Amino acid sequence: MPDEEPSSGYQLRVVQEVVLALLAKEASHGYQLRARLQLALGPLAEALNAGHVYVTLNRLERAGLVTSKRVGQTDRPDRKVYELTDPGRERVVEWLDDTSWPKPAPAEFHLKLVAAAAAGLSDPERLVDTQRHVVLAGLASAQRAALGEPAGSAAALLLEGVVLRLQADLHWLDACARYWTSRKEH
Amino acid sequence: MGRILLICRLALRDLRRRPGEAALLLLATTAATATLTIALALNGVTGQPFQSTRAATAGPDVVASLAWPGQSEDPADLAGLEALASAPGVAAHSGPYPYTQAVVEANGVTVRAWTQGRGAEAAAVDQPALVEGGWVADGGAVLEASFAQAIGVDAGDAITLGGRSFRVAGVAVTAAADPYPKVCLAPCWFGVGAESRAENGPPRTRPRPERGPPSGPPEEPSFWIGQGGLVWVTEADARGLATRPGSLAYVMNLKLTDPAAAPAFVRAHMPEAESMLFPVAWQDILYGHARVAEWKQTALLGGSWMLGLLALASIAVLVGGRMADQLRRVGLLKAVGGTPGLVAAVLLAQHLAVALVAAAAGLLAGRLVAPLLAEPGIGLIGRADPGPLTLPVAGLVTALALGVAGVATFLPAVRAARTSTVRALADLPRPPRRAGWLIAVSARLPVPLLLGLRWAARRPRRAVLGVAAIAVTVTGIVAALATDARRYAEKAPGDDPRTALGQVLSLVVVMLVAQAVVNAVCVIWAATLEARRSSALARALGATPGQISAGLSAAQVLPALGGALLGIAGGIGLAEILDDDPVAVPPLWQLLAVVLGCVVVIAGLTAVPARLNARRPAGEALRTEPA
Amino acid sequence: MPSESLSSLGPALRTHGLRMRYGQGTGLVNALDGVELEVARGETLAVMGPSGSGKSTLLHLLGGLERPSEGEVWLAGRRIDGLGEKALARLRRQAVGFVFQAFHLMDELTAEENVELPALLAGMSPRAARRRAGELLDRVGLAGRAGHLPSALSGGERQRVAVARALSNEPLVVLADEPTGNLDSAATADVLRLLDSLRETGQTLVIVTHDARVAAIADRLISMRDGSFVEETRLTRGGGRLSELAGLEG
Ligand SMILES: Nc1ncnc2c1ncn2[C@@H]1O[C@H](COP(=O)(O)OP(=O)(O)OP(=O)(O)O)[C@@H](O)[C@H]1O
Ligand SMILES: [Mg+2]
Repeated sequence: MPDEEPSSGYQLRVVQEVVLALLAKEASHGYQLRARLQLALGPLAEALNAGHVYVTLNRLERAGLVTSKRVGQTDRPDRKVYELTDPGRERVVEWLDDTSWPKPAPAEFHLKLVAAAAAGLSDPERLVDTQRHVVLAGLASAQRAALGEPAGSAAALLLEGVVLRLQADLHWLDACARYWTSRKEH
Repeated sequence: MGRILLICRLALRDLRRRPGEAALLLLATTAATATLTIALALNGVTGQPFQSTRAATAGPDVVASLAWPGQSEDPADLAGLEALASAPGVAAHSGPYPYTQAVVEANGVTVRAWTQGRGAEAAAVDQPALVEGGWVADGGAVLEASFAQAIGVDAGDAITLGGRSFRVAGVAVTAAADPYPKVCLAPCWFGVGAESRAENGPPRTRPRPERGPPSGPPEEPSFWIGQGGLVWVTEADARGLATRPGSLAYVMNLKLTDPAAAPAFVRAHMPEAESMLFPVAWQDILYGHARVAEWKQTALLGGSWMLGLLALASIAVLVGGRMADQLRRVGLLKAVGGTPGLVAAVLLAQHLAVALVAAAAGLLAGRLVAPLLAEPGIGLIGRADPGPLTLPVAGLVTALALGVAGVATFLPAVRAARTSTVRALADLPRPPRRAGWLIAVSARLPVPLLLGLRWAARRPRRAVLGVAAIAVTVTGIVAALATDARRYAEKAPGDDPRTALGQVLSLVVVMLVAQAVVNAVCVIWAATLEARRSSALARALGATPGQISAGLSAAQVLPALGGALLGIAGGIGLAEILDDDPVAVPPLWQLLAVVLGCVVVIAGLTAVPARLNARRPAGEALRTEPA
Repeated sequence: MPSESLSSLGPALRTHGLRMRYGQGTGLVNALDGVELEVARGETLAVMGPSGSGKSTLLHLLGGLERPSEGEVWLAGRRIDGLGEKALARLRRQAVGFVFQAFHLMDELTAEENVELPALLAGMSPRAARRRAGELLDRVGLAGRAGHLPSALSGGERQRVAVARALSNEPLVVLADEPTGNLDSAATADVLRLLDSLRETGQTLVIVTHDARVAAIADRLISMRDGSFVEETRLTRGGGRLSELAGLEG
């Protein structure tokens, strides 16, 4: 799924930190970084095109977090090798120590149901049902992707995380369905 | 008090809830108590008819006979015999009467008989009592009753005696000789006389030929030593029948002032020289009569012990099955802090109640059957009266029943009490390490066999009980067959009264088989119940009802086969111990039939419940049986 | 042989007007109430629903473990609701693999023997059956426990043995009742991977589950309530962008 404007699709901050961290040990080419990311993301790397990593590296260079130098190659055109600067190194340490957690979705959906019921605009049960189907479909594709990964791969771990969160979401949606059904009966 | 009441109430309720099981228990225990009652009742059965015969025939205390085999008559010896009549301690005498041996032919049977010459007048000592016909006359013989019965002859029939035609004048009983075919006068020796002669007499002792074939030595001597019947004729006829030289002998009957001193008298009057004078004490003759009854009693006593063991096995299996059933309950009780003692007490109460009923039923049944077996044997008069149902007998029988029930309940109860609570709740089969070798052995077998072996191994104690029960049964059957084979091998011509033992043996065998079937039903009942979940599961996985039946049968048949083989060895050993005659191994086909019979019966008994279970859909059984 | 009468065309499973009643009078339970079902060959069907809605009952009827009170059950073109126990057993060994809700392992057989039992019953050679059992146990992560009796296995391990056992005779249809009920996330993934592999061999799978994650491997999801089907969802591939779901896009 090629996306010409990566900044709109990916949470760029994360990609920036990851690229910085990957450079912490030793200087690398852009394509090496991309290969690492692809391995970690497995099927999720489908949206990660080559340009995305270079765009990110350019931005980081502009921000003074990495430096680059050209290295001559015998049989190919010269390539850039990126290296971490001291501020970049500080940034990596900060990121690793950061404990903020991606926010789950319930509050917004919950308020949507309450509002829909109050306004009488839409049946909360129907909303829950529709949402359930969407989440279920997501779960199905995540689960299939997970099963497609060889056991023990890093990407499988990521996919398991996706599956478990969606599973939790479904459990909660079931609870919503029960609640709103019993509401209607009274 | 309230506790006892509670236990009784629970016991009664449990009994009522499982009537089939209670009936099995009752049957198993009753068979054992009945047999024991019969065996105890036969104790001393022959004593009485012999005594009444002795009274009715003025039976002798000592019978002294004299022969000169191979020689011409020696008057000096005859004088020695006659001198006994005036020996100290002799109160009365009759004879000497001449006797010889003659071959009797009647009804196609050819038997040798000791033929005694008697006068027409009544003798003071040993006057045979007629039970049929009249006394001897020229050309008219009187046959001893057991002999007449054995060759099927009645008063008035015609027989050939020593090649001459005789008429059977009558049939009589005597207390002066053993029953057919053990009649023996000089020149054979037995009893006290033979013993004292062996101790200090010349080495020419001729023991009573109880062992060995009834036929005589190869060249026809004037006297053979061996089994035969007893015939009375007139003195003239007796002398006339003694055709060969040295074939005429004499017998004298003595009455002592002290009958109890007869053995001492015999010892005192054993001739020192190589004389063929042979005194016999009445006690030795009684022993001959008692032997048949004694065999019967030994057989019955042995049989009742075996039945007792079988009953023990049945009850242990039933109780063990119920305990397994109740183990979960016990575990629950223990989990909430109760004691398993209550459960054990309830079981014990039930089984003791059943045992009491079984003791009563066994005493009654034994009492009814005993007279039939106590038939004294022809040759004696008066009815045998089995010992009355004394308190000790009743006590012993009741104790057996209660003991069996108690022991069989106690062990599993203790085990249940000691099982860890978690294991009891899960009702796990044996822990894996014990089944280790079996897993290795059976792993490569076809599916039904594999399942069968594992089922059998699940309750190893029960398998052992099953093996033991079959072994005991087959031991009994084979011992009976061996004894019977022995009796048959040495059977005298005609209808040998000793083969009457066969009746008793067959009774014992029938009861053993019945008991064993009850036992097998118990074992199979418990095993099938337990394998119900497993077999439903195997069916769910695609095993056909036939395969399940085969597996269940294998679980029973394989141990049974082992038990049967053990039993064959045990049976021959037992016959060796109990029977003082040398052992005859029953024919191979009989042994094979016993083993095959076991297998077929067990397989058949197993197939029925297995088939019945297989009719229910597999899922239904899976739902109802706990995992 | 039942395999001859099993057709290789048409749906793998089909029911018509299927009803199951337990008890009578006031204790009457309508465990199944007129179920119409068709499962195509190679399809994976998930059945979900609240406890007591009749899911296990449905599976039992599909596998011929119980007889319906009313209605028809067809397995691979053969009507099985009226067959005798013997014919049913033959059919099961050939065409059906069961994972029971309560595992139902044979207590007296080791894990390995439990797994190879259906294969042996189906006529596989002992050597091949043993090899297959070892392979299946390996795939559910139990290679090291092959020689243990069920009493020595944990609940989750027993469940995995039960799953392996259902596949050992390479059945036409696998009927799995809560195959992951006692498993942690990693063991669930193992089992799901194994069940999903049935797709490649064209085997049909019916899974009863409370776990949406398990249901997610199905092509179709049926929801049951009080003995009837209340909803049917086709789970199409590519629903929702994975990277979005993973929090990579926002
Ligand atoms: N043998 C039986 N006798 C009576 N009722 C039964 C029997 N077996 C099942 N039922 C009832 O049939 C209904 C359906 O049972 P079933 O086992 O199919 O439920 P389920 O959907 O599998 O539930 P769960 O998710 O709890 O396993 C239940 O109400 C149950 O009580
Ligand atoms: Mg269920």
